[in-house]
Amino acid sequence: MSVITITIDGKEVQTQEGEFILNAARSNGIFIPAICYLTRCSPTLACRICLVEADGKQVYACNAKAKQGMNITTTTSTIETEKRAIMEVYDVNHPLECGVCDQSGECELQNYTLEVGVDKQTYSIADTHKPTQNWGLIHYDPALCIMCERCITVCKDMIGDAALSTVARGGENIEAAFKESMPKDAYAMWNKLNKSLIAPNAGTTLDCTNCGECTAVCPVGALVSSDYQYTSNAWEHTQIPATCAHCSAGCQISYDIKHTDITNPDAKIYRVKNEWNYISLCGAGRYGYDFENRNVTKNSIAFDAAIDAFKNADTIAFTSTITNEEAMILQRLKEKFGYKLINEEARVFKNFLSNYSTITGESLYHGFFKEVHSADFVVSIGTALKTDNPNARFAMNNALSMNKGAGLYFHPISDPVIAAMSKNLMQINHAPLMEEATLYLMLDLFGDKAEMPSELTSYLATFHSTKTVTIEETVDEKVTETIVKKVLNAESGVEEEVSEHVTKTVKKKVSKEVEVDENRLLELLNAPAGFSETLTKYLAKKSTFALIVGSDLYTHPNAANCARLVGLIEKYTSFSVTMVPNLANTLGVALICDLDESAGTKTIGYNTAGNFTLSALGEGDLDMPALNQQEGTLTSNDKRVNPTNAALPYGGYELNDIASALGVKEALTVDYTSQLPLNAGFKAVEFDTLPNYYTNAGEEVRGYVLESQRSEVSGDESVQPLDEKYGLKGALVYLANPVLQFTSFTAASHQLQESGGLYGSTSFMNSNGLSAGDSVRVRTSLGEMVVVFIHDSKINGDIPYLPTFDSKINSQALFGGYRFSNVSIEKV
Amino acid sequence: MHSEPLNDRNVSEQSPYFYVDIETYPTTSWDKFKQVVKRTFKGELFVGLWVVMREMIKFDIHTVQYPKEKLPIGPRYRAVHKLLRLWESGYERCIGCGLCEKICISDCIRMDTKIDENSRKEVTEYSINLGRCIFCGYCAEVCPELAIVHGQRYENGSEQRAHFVIKDDMLTPLDWLTSGQQAEFPGFGAITPNESVTKTPLAY
Amino acid sequence: MDMAFIIETIAKIVVILLVFSALAGLGTYFERKVLAFMQRRLGPMHVGPFGLLQVAADGIKLFTKEDIIPQNVVKPIFKIAPVITAATAFMAAAAIPFWPEFTAFGYKVHPIVADINVGILYVLGIMAIGLYGPLLGGMASANKFSLISAARSAAVFISYEVISGLSLLAPLMMVGSLSLIDINNYQAGGIGNWIVWSQPVAFILFWIAAFAETGRTPFHLIANDHEIIDGFGTEYSGMRWGLFFIGEYANMFFISFVIAIIFLGGFGDGSIAGAFQLLLKVSFFFFFFLWTRAAWPDVRPDQLMWLCWKVLMPLAVVNIVITGLVMMF
Ligand code: SF4
Ligand code: SF4
Ligand code: SF4
Ligand code: SF4
Ligand code: SF4
Ligand code: FES
Repeated sequence: MSVITITIDGKEVQTQEGEFILNAARSNGIFIPAICYLTRCSPTLACRICLVEADGKQVYACNAKAKQGMNITTTTSTIETEKRAIMEVYDVNHPLECGVCDQSGECELQNYTLEVGVDKQTYSIADTHKPTQNWGLIHYDPALCIMCERCITVCKDMIGDAALSTVARGGENIEAAFKESMPKDAYAMWNKLNKSLIAPNAGTTLDCTNCGECTAVCPVGALVSSDYQYTSNAWEHTQIPATCAHCSAGCQISYDIKHTDITNPDAKIYRVKNEWNYISLCGAGRYGYDFENRNVTKNSIAFDAAIDAFKNADTIAFTSTITNEEAMILQRLKEKFGYKLINEEARVFKNFLSNYSTITGESLYHGFFKEVHSADFVVSIGTALKTDNPNARFAMNNALSMNKGAGLYFHPISDPVIAAMSKNLMQINHAPLMEEATLYLMLDLFGDKAEMPSELTSYLATFHSTKTVTIEETVDEKVTETIVKKVLNAESGVEEEVSEHVTKTVKKKVSKEVEVDENRLLELLNAPAGFSETLTKYLAKKSTFALIVGSDLYTHPNAANCARLVGLIEKYTSFSVTMVPNLANTLGVALICDLDESAGTKTIGYNTAGNFTLSALGEGDLDMPALNQQEGTLTSNDKRVNPTNAALPYGGYELNDIASALGVKEALTVDYTSQLPLNAGFKAVEFDTLPNYYTNAGEEVRGYVLESQRSEVSGDESVQPLDEKYGLKGALVYLANPVLQFTSFTAASHQLQESGGLYGSTSFMNSNGLSAGDSVRVRTSLGEMVVVFIHDSKINGDIPYLPTFDSKINSQALFGGYRFSNVSIEKV
Repeated sequence: MHSEPLNDRNVSEQSPYFYVDIETYPTTSWDKFKQVVKRTFKGELFVGLWVVMREMIKFDIHTVQYPKEKLPIGPRYRAVHKLLRLWESGYERCIGCGLCEKICISDCIRMDTKIDENSRKEVTEYSINLGRCIFCGYCAEVCPELAIVHGQRYENGSEQRAHFVIKDDMLTPLDWLTSGQQAEFPGFGAITPNESVTKTPLAY
Repeated sequence: MDMAFIIETIAKIVVILLVFSALAGLGTYFERKVLAFMQRRLGPMHVGPFGLLQVAADGIKLFTKEDIIPQNVVKPIFKIAPVITAATAFMAAAAIPFWPEFTAFGYKVHPIVADINVGILYVLGIMAIGLYGPLLGGMASANKFSLISAARSAAVFISYEVISGLSLLAPLMMVGSLSLIDINNYQAGGIGNWIVWSQPVAFILFWIAAFAETGRTPFHLIANDHEIIDGFGTEYSGMRWGLFFIGEYANMFFISFVIAIIFLGGFGDGSIAGAFQLLLKVSFFFFFFLWTRAAWPDVRPDQLMWLCWKVLMPLAVVNIVITGLVMMF
């Protein structure tokens, strides 16, 4: 892609070759009205209001690509007439309920109606009754829907659930006379609008991962959050720019706050908003916002007890749902008092990173999610993508659907949601502990054999053998037939039936004996039959490659070897590697803190159990502010240090008060922002100078990006050979969270309240004779517990999982570090 | 009255502006003396004395003894607000659109809304801080539902700067509505309630 | 000096002080009521029946109010000034015969504190000293409005001193005594003997001067609210301000007595009827002060001075000359 120059309304602007005119205009601050287009998704041409004239021809700015020297005019009198007619059509029968509508004040229909200046109505059609529908977290009012299809588009192209589609609208046809009298595009748009409505694929209610992104992108009040509905007007909110505190994606959000009610002026978060053109949220981020530690006052007795506890303790155990600044304070406390810092999940990640850098000589991985979005071949290894980091899934789905991409998903648990993302995606459900094999496979398939160390090349060669097999080959055969097909008449926008004779090539199967190369790695990984052929098909015309790796690798008993293998992949393949840290700030904690392996005897627990517990959930001995009550920075998996602000007041003590009382003094927690360790890639910048927004061009101006530190490498690129007997067999259980949950904080928010249990797929449920709500005893070599069985329709296969979000279930105690474990499960 | 002639500041015959008659003021001491004598003996002073004496004798007192007696208030007087109900159904007119809240220049209106059983927006609470309200009438002006209007209750002294009326204080009680005590004033979109009223006409 | 005389004098002083202080209070009540009625209002209504106890309420208020001495005032002078006004007003009363002689419990009472032979001179002199109240109070107040008021009061008092002195000269020439009792007795013959008939010009001039000396509308310019706030009283509060007030009202009463005695025959022959006639006459003059306040506007300071020096003083002098000529021939 090269930079080209085009002229829009007499202004010369630079843009990328092949960029849509609309995006070129937007990133240069030129306004072109557009309703149905969503940045990062495919144009649907539903609204047709983005009409512009390019080199004398009318085109739709959202799907016409810019060419060198193009001359674009955004308004001509015909375009004005079209726009006016389009907006009039949108206003036909649109209920006059802005007064109560949730979208009022930020409604694109309102805006464009006023922008275009609709002051009278030329068109009409009999209205139909369209009752509102409640889809759980989401509420749909078809009367308000303008059929821009943004919800469908985002769900398909970005989220990957493709849970929505159009259904017939019913009602009258448009009066024939209008066809003649109306501007052409307006008529076409109306025709389309008058045909359909939105409906969930699953029937009357929505069966999806509940990200709520469809409500965010809906330009009108048709799709709204059920919980938010009718509680506020958009203009009443103060928007607090922040960073989502739940997972390592670190999405940009704003907490919309307002007084609680007329008797209580304290701020309350009413909803979360996002820049949906540039970042998509998952349901946890969107609905799990009110996890604050409420009604806390300064309890000096508890505080004194905390100081005493700190003086006596030798260990601080904590989780990674803390800010970089808090991690810095803990590190300082360690330096001063010699505490042991225990955070196992961050420690294994830290080790993984350092082992990885022994190969690459870089302290950080190379990849960004942005690269995943623009890749056309994406591989995911060792992570339950859908729930570990939803944004990684969105990125992968976006790549698959927008770039005609293909991908591989290596994970022991088969995931129907991932499977549904694309036809060109293969799931390889290998046995747990066989992750190393996947990495070897990656090296084998994509590694630059000429460059790779010869030991490795020859080791990989040992997996290959040739054998003769009988295969069924398909040959092309030509047939001619008459078909009737529906063609969209571009002029009227109506579908018309046309019959035509076509000569088609049909595939015909022929058996044949051939010699093939057999790769034992595939067998070890339970790869589906025909893997190699499918892969060859997938890889046709692919040029950008992205690999996502996750915490199955970090917790793997051979994590060190896995890390080195990932390093080799980074080095010898064209994949850009992105790692998914476990929790919101695992990367930050791993970079800032020196973490210890074993705890001492007296432990302070911060958001985790200890002899003295500090808790932002309000369950401990001393209250701490939750992440929506604190300012500070969080390090995302894009290696970005993102600022977050306090949306809600907090009246109690915070970690900085304790540290100050112990002699590690700073006035504010955010005073540590500029003291974050430079040698880990942080920068010495003040918190208050950190930006948090996206530009019109989609550039992410948030915080800063960590600088990867170079180190000398020994040149030793040896890796351990694979233990082929290694895979776990038998009944297994996985450590993961269900959709919408990450930590106790998500479960604490009122829309996502849930208590955990053992989650299993339909087939697991049936084969074990369980039904939802049964109590089951889960026993591993490390212990046992009795939990409720919960049916999860969003997974397949026979491996159930235990969650970590429910603090009442100490699931981690059953696992020896690695996320999978042998288990015996019985109904009680 | 047309304001144009008043904007014409060129004092002339046609203009409604005129100079008060100052030419006849005496200038010399002798003239002034004469004027004093004239005024003294012409009895102007006694006219003044007589006028006030006459009024005292007539004893036609105009004082309104306020807390005991009250003057009637004009129907369009802008005092403490009222929230009206629909004539035909008795349902609250306010739809919770928040326009009054938004337009209020003293930022003294607050309301709580929620979705009710019938999927309608319900205004559960509505408060006006009378300590801040300047009774400008913008809220009543902007209300698309003729729901909030000013009432006649002007006695709202309080011991605190912030004092409030809430929905219960302002909303027409249902029995008032049936007994026809909900006052409606002529003007934009309003009606005079009688038997023929079946619907509350709103502006559109 | 015998003891009885001292006791009697002290008793008289106390009675006069009490009666006139009370009258000053009642005077405010009447003033408010009269002004109200003339302006179609009701006046004070809420304290006591018909607002009668308003006076008491005001008294309580004045007595209990904080006595504020502003920071920059000349403190001793500021504090003493109201006392001067009130004291001189009451001192002047010493030579005024309020009532004819009468006998109570076999004891002959002279309702005059001191029947001195320079009575009227004494009264006028003491009233003139009253000037120091507003003058000193105004100058000590460190307030520009008070200062203007002080300057005005000096100018007005001194100017009208001249008028009142000159206008009285003619009747005194006729009577040949300065004692108010003598003046009264001179007219004891009845209404035809009243000096007003022989000296109408002097009567008018003295009456006008009386308005200036008491600072009442239309010559209210030493404390004209709309120009100079409360003039010399601006910085005063509580009872100190009340003393100015009492002084003003006492002065109004005393000057009414003086006018009635000198020009309208006083208590005449000393009978009870004559005594009540005196009270009626005094009441009329007091009422007239209120009446003019309701009816007339204030004049400007320059007009007041102009009136004094260019109209009233020449008239007074002419009146003396004519009187002298008439007496000589
Ligand atoms: S969707 Fe927009 S135009 Fe329609 S009622 Fe809501 S705010 Fe108004
Ligand atoms: S629901 Fe909203 S986003 Fe979806 S088609 Fe309707 S208007 Fe567009
Ligand atoms: S909530 Fe998310 S997954 Fe569900 S329909 Fe909407 S966009 Fe799709
Ligand atoms: S009258 Fe004016 S100030 Fe008072 S509530 Fe209405 S808009 Fe606000
Ligand atoms: S403007 Fe009227 S309808 Fe809207 S919230 Fe205010 S009172 Fe209710
Ligand atoms: S934005 Fe281009 S057709 Fe809708």
